[in-house]
Amino acid sequence: MNDEAKLISKLTEIPEEDYYVSGHRTCAGCGPALGYRLVLKAAGPNTIVLGPTGCMYVANGHQFLSSPYAVPWYHTQLGAGGPAGIGTAAALRALMFKGKRKREDVNVVVYGGDGGMSDIGLSGLSMGLTYDYPHLLYLIYDNESYANTGVQASSTTPFGASTTFTPSGKIKPIGNERLKKDMALIAAAHPSIGYVATASVSHPVDLVNKVRKALFSGRPSLVQLLTPCPKGWAFPPEETIELGQMAVKTGIWALWEYENGHFRITSKPTARKNIREYVMKQGRFSHLWRNEAALEYLQLSVDEQWRYWEEMDKIGKIILPWTPSYNRE
Amino acid sequence: MVSPELEELTWLAVHGRGVINTAHSSQIALTLSNAGVAAGRDAFYYMRYDDSPERVQLPFIYYAVFGNPRIRVILPEEVEPVGSVFDTVAVLDSSLIVKSTSQRALLLDGAKRNAALVVNTSLKPSVILKLVRKYGCAQDWEGRIITLRAKKYNQNIALGMIGAITKAMEPLYSIDDVIESMVEVEGKTDSVDAVRSAYEEADSLKVSLKAEDCEQYNLKSSVGEVKSSMGTKRWWDREAYMILKERVANAPTYEQRIKSMPRWEEIAPALIEFGPRVSERNIGFKTSFARTFRPVIDKNKCIDCKLCYVFCPDGAIDFDPIKVNYEYCKGCGICARMCGSKAISMPHELKALEGLDEEEFLSIREALIEYAY
Amino acid sequence: MSKSSQVAVQKVVQKRRVWTGARSVAEAVKLADVDVIAAYPIRPYTGIMNALATMIAGGDFYAEYLVCDSEHSQFEVVKHASAVGARTFVGSSGTGLIYGSEAVIVTALGQLPVVGIVGCRSLDDPGNFGMEWNDAFLFRDVGWLMAWSKDPQEALEMTLIAYRIAEDSRVLLPHFVALDGAAITHIASPVTPPTKEQVTKFLPPYKPLHPLDPAYEVVSKAMHIAPSLIGPEQRKSLDAAMKRAKNIVIPEVWKAWGNMFGRDCSPFFEETQMEDADYAILSMGAYSRNVDYVVEKMRNSGIKVGSLRLKYLRPFPTEELARALDGVKGVGVVDFSYSLGSPGNGSVLYNEVRAALYESKQRPLIMDYIFAGGREMTLPELENSIQALIESVKKGSVDKPVRWVTVRGEDE
Repeated sequence: MNDEAKLISKLTEIPEEDYYVSGHRTCAGCGPALGYRLVLKAAGPNTIVLGPTGCMYVANGHQFLSSPYAVPWYHTQLGAGGPAGIGTAAALRALMFKGKRKREDVNVVVYGGDGGMSDIGLSGLSMGLTYDYPHLLYLIYDNESYANTGVQASSTTPFGASTTFTPSGKIKPIGNERLKKDMALIAAAHPSIGYVATASVSHPVDLVNKVRKALFSGRPSLVQLLTPCPKGWAFPPEETIELGQMAVKTGIWALWEYENGHFRITSKPTARKNIREYVMKQGRFSHLWRNEAALEYLQLSVDEQWRYWEEMDKIGKIILPWTPSYNRE
Repeated sequence: MVSPELEELTWLAVHGRGVINTAHSSQIALTLSNAGVAAGRDAFYYMRYDDSPERVQLPFIYYAVFGNPRIRVILPEEVEPVGSVFDTVAVLDSSLIVKSTSQRALLLDGAKRNAALVVNTSLKPSVILKLVRKYGCAQDWEGRIITLRAKKYNQNIALGMIGAITKAMEPLYSIDDVIESMVEVEGKTDSVDAVRSAYEEADSLKVSLKAEDCEQYNLKSSVGEVKSSMGTKRWWDREAYMILKERVANAPTYEQRIKSMPRWEEIAPALIEFGPRVSERNIGFKTSFARTFRPVIDKNKCIDCKLCYVFCPDGAIDFDPIKVNYEYCKGCGICARMCGSKAISMPHELKALEGLDEEEFLSIREALIEYAY
Repeated sequence: MSKSSQVAVQKVVQKRRVWTGARSVAEAVKLADVDVIAAYPIRPYTGIMNALATMIAGGDFYAEYLVCDSEHSQFEVVKHASAVGARTFVGSSGTGLIYGSEAVIVTALGQLPVVGIVGCRSLDDPGNFGMEWNDAFLFRDVGWLMAWSKDPQEALEMTLIAYRIAEDSRVLLPHFVALDGAAITHIASPVTPPTKEQVTKFLPPYKPLHPLDPAYEVVSKAMHIAPSLIGPEQRKSLDAAMKRAKNIVIPEVWKAWGNMFGRDCSPFFEETQMEDADYAILSMGAYSRNVDYVVEKMRNSGIKVGSLRLKYLRPFPTEELARALDGVKGVGVVDFSYSLGSPGNGSVLYNEVRAALYESKQRPLIMDYIFAGGREMTLPELENSIQALIESVKKGSVDKPVRWVTVRGEDE
């Protein structure tokens, strides 16, 4: 039980074995599906996976006699990602301590969507993060909506995004008026947390390493993974990776990690691209394309946020992020 | 044998690609339903429930059903109608004519003997007939093919399709019924010219096809009574499950797939199924029917950087040597975009399979950004 | 060994304690070598979890004990622990049970043999610590086995019995053991717990058929399905499991328990003075003791009344009920529940009994004694209710079948 996380330095070191195999009813270009594939490659065969309801539950089944999971896998309820992981880990520990099962490292990965993990499941997730079971990773695949039910807003939907619950209209031109909740920062605020990170499917080497560090941190951990969604964000499926890269290049998605109380940015864009290069590529922001005030606000908010990320990176500690002043005109 | 309560109805089945054609199909169905109502009939429309949620590229079917004049029964949601019920089959993306028979019914399954097939394509009706005979039919067909290039009439391909489908659906309702209801009910005065022109200009070809002449015909021969391979086991274990999974996955038609499904006595308790072996692709859900375009790797240009392998959300590219598995590729195009040496091109399915130059397709950007939001 | 020496051995080995129902159940959990416990506080079941926490902290036994953030998480924790192969324990009461209901239901439909306690308590609103059965009754359709204990002794025994029934591969359904709130959870009375040796002999270890664990076959559990392919089949297999529980496993296990202690343990009913009864009073749980008492009193004045205590609400013993009521002319149902707007505006257990008897040859007159709102039963009220039954039988019909026994005001 003394293994350390095996970190990689290049793409070709990503393991060949697939534990989330081909053959699922996901969209062409599905970001979360790619995430599943990479995360399970990183975790390896000695893993139990829990799948809360969402796209990564329904789209991977939806038939019968059709499982793509080459590791033990069990569904859990939309808001039950937290207790599912904890219950699984607790059972393993109890059985091992009592000699009912051989002692070894077994990973438990909860692969849950942002809707389930940050809204309805926040309470249970938070409970999970207060415990000390090792090899337990809560992986939030963030497509910034409740995608499976037809793309509705969640509290991780970004400002200005159109969803079926926050469409743009004459009276409400902005679409989603709430600001995106930062689940990774919320996780980092739990007093006994060992490892928290943000990641993106566009940065696979970084993702694999973060997953492995998380699983070997000795305590429950959380990784918030940006998974662009062609259906929900309205962009051509071939652009999934580029969009993830652009999210990082514009700074709207910061890649960082928080390891044993030390914060650092893991991918700092040298000169951040203008937010328009990200927003203009997605139909969910199309109502903002000619809204100069909204676009400027978005840029301002990213700029302000980066003052905080940079400050945190400098001092190696987390400080609470900005709150914007938004004037309705 | 058709279920009698469905026989008396008039059915339209609109085949589209998930997310890309959703708005088009619902508009077609809505407008034609209004026309049906104007003509004094019950008109119901819906996406086949089992096709939702729609996924980008994955095929779905939208039904518009017209009563004679009433619809008195609940229409089937999840099972494709057993027997011949479709009067008109409309196809918004011509690559849908080609389908993997291990997962879906053929394009003309469920179509009446005299059904009309309406296709949005730049190809001639005679070429479409060849494709249908090779990929999409396993029954006698004495109907007709109607083709048009819907984008020519309006960027919103629903308008052109409405016109062409009306040509197929007459005399259930007339083009005037359609135009009238578009103006009166939907207030879409600007769109009527496109609809009328498409109606007038769509190409038409009478068809006389024998089942035995269809390539898919032999696959449809009856499997007969399916025997359980459980032996003395009370409930399935991995071995029994995998035998069953393979049998179901390889069933050539939807009907046979249903017949191969297990009895309740065979199911292991506690909703237990078994997963595939490591890296062993899931035969229970192949996805070749999801492609409009397919990636083709030029081995001379490939530098074996593995970017395509890593970034494929479906794991459809083999690692060594780099090779596309077309049973699981959905044609998303990520590999071509991320390729380290521009070695991957994305020809249209019909070009890759049959050397045909299909020029009528909707760019996904057009579809999603113009019509999804 | 001669019978006398057997008795002597029992007297030495078993100690009698005075325990609440809560403490008794905790003892059962310890004896059963439970692996994972999920706790969340709500009156009146919390005492069980308090007792278990003390035992674990003091080293009496070991289990993973998780303090959860809600009942929903509580039931999810044990569901998942059970899938991996751990023996689990959980419980709740009243509105807490309802809060967790999604997790409660999924546990049964996914066939995890979790054993849970319901400390029966009135549902909110308003908040009320009184005793009602509605909290447990809300789950009567989804596959949980449900048994009602009558005192702390039986609560302990039923918990152990529940593990063996639930984990049997012919059943694999979760099992509630209900303890009437306050009456059983909080009142201490004499309890003789079995020994560890007896329990080890009676209760085999939990060995799921297909554990969710990479050490075993790779399992995909509860994949999303299309009902045209599979759907009714899964429900039917639950139906078959429930039937096997009723017809085979429950009688088998209760017999094994009875053999162990030299007792006759009828699985579904406890019958008192039913042999020649003209009138029967059907009840569950703690207040059946009141019924027994009143029945004995009435027998002394020559009334042929009997007491019929139902142990299992699910699976409901339909045939056994008909047999028990053979020759009975009228049955009164003591029911601590309400079922607003139900057929006859009756209560839950009453309607279950009526439905059970519909096709039976024995169709006594039936009366519903509703004890709603959590108010306790008084003996005079019970006696009056039984009198009304006797009069109805004499008359040959029931004018007013449903009675709200404890309510102040007009019962219209």
